[in-house]
Amino acid sequence: MKAFLALMKREYLEHKGAFLYAPAVLLAVLAVALLGSVVSGPISEQYDLEIASGTRLFEIGFMMFAGLWWLYLVAALIFYFAGAFSADKRNNAMLFWKSMPVSDLRILVTKFVAGLTQFPAMVLAAVLGTGLLLAVTALIISSRVPGLSAPELVPVLTGFLQVSVAVISFYALALLWYAPFFAWIAALATVVGRWSIPLAILTPAIVSLAENIVFFGRGPQGGYVGRFFMERLQLGPHGDDGQFELFIVDPKPFEAWPHIATLLGSINWVSMAGGFVVAGLLLYAASEYRRRTLNG
Amino acid sequence: MSTPSSAPIVSARGLRKRFGKTEILHGLDFDIPPGRIYGLVGHNGAGKTTTLNALLGLTQYEGSITVLGQDPFLHRASLMRDVSFISDVASLPRFLKVRELFDMLTNIHPNFSAEKAHQFLDNTDIKPDARIKNLSKGMIAQLHLAVVMAIDAKLLVLDEPTLGLDITYRKRFYRRLLEDYMTEERTLLITTHQVDEIEFMLSDIMFIRDGHLIVHMQMETVSAKFSQLLAEGDAVAAAMALNPIYSETRFGQTAMVFDGVDRAQLEPLGKVSTPSLSDLFVALMQRQTPATGAAK
Repeated sequence: MKAFLALMKREYLEHKGAFLYAPAVLLAVLAVALLGSVVSGPISEQYDLEIASGTRLFEIGFMMFAGLWWLYLVAALIFYFAGAFSADKRNNAMLFWKSMPVSDLRILVTKFVAGLTQFPAMVLAAVLGTGLLLAVTALIISSRVPGLSAPELVPVLTGFLQVSVAVISFYALALLWYAPFFAWIAALATVVGRWSIPLAILTPAIVSLAENIVFFGRGPQGGYVGRFFMERLQLGPHGDDGQFELFIVDPKPFEAWPHIATLLGSINWVSMAGGFVVAGLLLYAASEYRRRTLNG
Repeated sequence: MSTPSSAPIVSARGLRKRFGKTEILHGLDFDIPPGRIYGLVGHNGAGKTTTLNALLGLTQYEGSITVLGQDPFLHRASLMRDVSFISDVASLPRFLKVRELFDMLTNIHPNFSAEKAHQFLDNTDIKPDARIKNLSKGMIAQLHLAVVMAIDAKLLVLDEPTLGLDITYRKRFYRRLLEDYMTEERTLLITTHQVDEIEFMLSDIMFIRDGHLIVHMQMETVSAKFSQLLAEGDAVAAAMALNPIYSETRFGQTAMVFDGVDRAQLEPLGKVSTPSLSDLFVALMQRQTPATGAAK
């Protein structure tokens, strides 16, 4: 366990730029931009959106920023998995790590676990920081915009907690759902380095194209492979059927659990378990490749 | 020093290695007993590093190898608890600080002592808060040596550990290795092109030529088996009749190396001495037919 934690710390030290410094800088820029504009900048008296309350405004803003942070996290993780799994080769450090009493599989598993736990946790900390920042911003905006009912501290804090729980749940489930895709990028990176990013997309695309050429018109639209990947990339229920418009004007406070339950209910758990098996096999194959090469 | 009859630390039988269709090692057989200091010497491309990589479990091979009773390729990770090696002095993780490296090693390697490592660095310019990427090449080599000497290992393998370092540092490196690290329980296997610099410390020597082990003997045996004669004038023709394995003219004198010729026969012909390792190496590398079976 000590070795595992030490290797996790190694990943943190090597990649803190993308997961600690960059989010901190983004958060600082956001703080300056938001607070600067709402404190000293003009706020339009024209208020067109029919938002139920200042608390709802905060909740919507928090969710939108959580969504943007999710995009940041996915992009950063793609580069992390492509970079970390080829870092020892790129940095000429392979022989050092191979002189340690740690197997290649253990090193790669640690990198993978770090990518799905400690780094998302750091970005989640930035999400929560953004939430607090938005709570303050919402309180200020509501006090300055006549069309909004001024939120009270308790509902805003409750909204913060509820949205946080929903966001954390979504992040956790999404990371587990997409784990095999990250493992695919990581395993390819062990062989081809950062070229794994385009290859991770190109390879299934070429397979899908080949399938369509060979079985043209005899399979489902887009082919079996393409359809599988499109479905496997989808997380949660399809479409929102105007749910967002209803949510904006709904005066009831946001509750996380119904949304989490909907998400849990929409997940194909067999496919999720299959994804874990695929991820495990990919990591094992990558470790066996790495074991057999000094530059892999 | 232990006797050669002790159970070997390393045992290789029929060791072969191919890269594609090219065979690099042609069935090496050797044992390395504990408590010895072995020099593995050969030209570039002779197979030294490939041999070491096979012993360290870094590459696949044909034949059998046991190191400390284990198959190194199957059990590299566990073997590295008792084996330490430097194969490339530039392989330390450059993103770490010295202190972070020692902290990490303390948790990863059960036989690493951070206290010892700090002691080895006491008289150097390397500070604990220095980042490795900011250290000079010589400092990195010192640091790497401190790391491997702070590991309580039974076998230390050094592959060109002083490559690119100046003569002052190289001499200090080997002196510290002898004075601070070597004990009766430890075995050292070292390769270098600067054979004269390690000659004083070696107990045994192995010469490898084109993937064949052409010499494997204790240093005491070298002086008994090989002689160097400096002859001039008429003595040269008489000496040549004794079939030297190598000869060259230096400043009007002819230097000849003999294999298995009684020194009493040579002494009347000129100045007889034991050839230096570099002279012996040159002589044996230029011999037309490799020795069949390594002498022991």
